[in-house]
Amino acid sequence: MMNISIARIQAIFMKDYKEFSRNYAISVMVFIPIIMAFLYRDMEFDAAQKMLFPLAITFGMVTAFVQAALIAEEKERNTLRSLLLSPASLADILIGKSALVSTISVIIIALCCYAVNYTPSATMIIAIILSIVFYAALGTICGLFAKSTMETTFTVLPVVIIFPFGPFISMFAERFSVLKIAKWLPSSQLADLAQGDSLVPMIGIVLWTIAAWVAAIILCKKRMVD
Amino acid sequence: MTTIIDVRHLKKAFQQSNALADVTFSIQKGEIFGFLGPSGSGKTTTIKILTAQLHKDAGEAFVFDMPVSAMQDSKNREKFGILTDNSGLYSRLSIEENLALYCKLYNVPNTAIKEALEFVNLYGERKKKVSMLSKGMTQRVLLARAILHKPDLLFLDEPTSALDPVNTAHIYKGLRALNELGTTIFLTTHDMQEADTLCHRVAFLNKGTIQAIGTPKQLKEQYSEQTITVELKDGSSQVIKNDAQNAQSLHDWMANNQISRIFSNEPTLGDIFMKITGSDLQ
Ligand SMILES: Nc1ncnc2c1ncn2[C@@H]1O[C@H](COP(=O)(O)OP(=O)(O)OP(=O)(O)O)[C@@H](O)[C@H]1O
Ligand SMILES: [Mg+2]
Repeated sequence: MMNISIARIQAIFMKDYKEFSRNYAISVMVFIPIIMAFLYRDMEFDAAQKMLFPLAITFGMVTAFVQAALIAEEKERNTLRSLLLSPASLADILIGKSALVSTISVIIIALCCYAVNYTPSATMIIAIILSIVFYAALGTICGLFAKSTMETTFTVLPVVIIFPFGPFISMFAERFSVLKIAKWLPSSQLADLAQGDSLVPMIGIVLWTIAAWVAAIILCKKRMVD
Repeated sequence: MTTIIDVRHLKKAFQQSNALADVTFSIQKGEIFGFLGPSGSGKTTTIKILTAQLHKDAGEAFVFDMPVSAMQDSKNREKFGILTDNSGLYSRLSIEENLALYCKLYNVPNTAIKEALEFVNLYGERKKKVSMLSKGMTQRVLLARAILHKPDLLFLDEPTSALDPVNTAHIYKGLRALNELGTTIFLTTHDMQEADTLCHRVAFLNKGTIQAIGTPKQLKEQYSEQTITVELKDGSSQVIKNDAQNAQSLHDWMANNQISRIFSNEPTLGDIFMKITGSDLQ
């Protein structure tokens, strides 16, 4: 049932690229993490530490937010319904629609790494890519929930602040013990991974990614019918 | 004959309204079928159920001999084309770019774009951005997209509601040609003239049920009051029943060379529509 067509995925990706490059309100987002990374460049912490903030901003503002905005717009303009009525399968649509933000996120993170002079390990690269896939799902879910493009700004905002900023929220855990749960967020797991610990955080990120995509697929299937 | 759409005792209710109470009809391969009814009578709801965009509450619905739920399968969606009021285009892309995407999705060569745009008389404007288009032009692009892959079945929900007469006539010509190549067309409209000129068969939907169904000719006969109007040379006009009782008066007028014009009072589809649906407007 889940037949995948590379040609269809590519067509959706190219379409998204054209729309994105003409949508300045959204496409300017890509510069924020890069500017951030260059500002951090000359600070005193080690490279991995410097990378945390641009990484969180990329995941939140680019991967999740841009994805949510693109999906919400497709929903608002009924183009999503038209896609769902075409022979493109749900897998084609979801992969095609995530491909653009994922690619952009990879490029931005690579530029940020260069800016702060950080060389990620192979495990870290895998974890970052998995995180991108997770945030793309998160953005998809937010976009599908939002009633309009305008509304994404509000629905996505909390998500964008909470999920990618786990390590920063954890800093306050000593004062507010509820915030201890923040260490289970995928971003905290990624931060742990950057510190050297690898198996448990990696499993954590994988589980988050699977859970998010299952939710996104269920939600999208629901959107196929009124 | 092959049955393309078969609907039996279809029911659908929403919270506030009973959209479809009991709808039964079938459409044969090669037909242009007109689904007529006042606003809110359930035309779009029917199309949505037939394309698996909405679940039915009860009854049976088959498309291409498969239960409608099979239309959720991407493979089966290649077989139909659809234009409804919830169809959307990418506003930052040109007309051509929008159609190019769907060529890839339907796996047809890009040469289909030219053909489809000529169908809706928009080929000259293919480079225009969709955000710059008028309502009628948008509707024509959506129609072009619906016929891009020459589907076996075409759902058209009020396809000409925003069009001028010249473009409407051009599109009728195209739809007839497409139909001759084998496309079955399910069309909803408010425009009785459109139904009359384009459709092989029409159904009148009102209050969630089909009130009448048949060829336009059959319906006109069925709803005809069998009267003829005789206009006399003195300027008066007489409406008489077309039966033996009135034969003598007709004969007399004719014998005295009094008649200037004579015609039968066939109802238009519009008259029938009014008759069927008008009662509850009061
Ligand atoms: N998603 C929905 N939720 C609730 N009610 C609905 C929904 N869709 C349609 N309806 C109701 O169902 C009835 C039939 O609507 P439908 O859109 O099928 O009418 P229509 O014949 O297409 O009308 P029109 O000619 O105006 O397009 C209406 O009373 C409408 O209010
Ligand atoms: Mg309608």
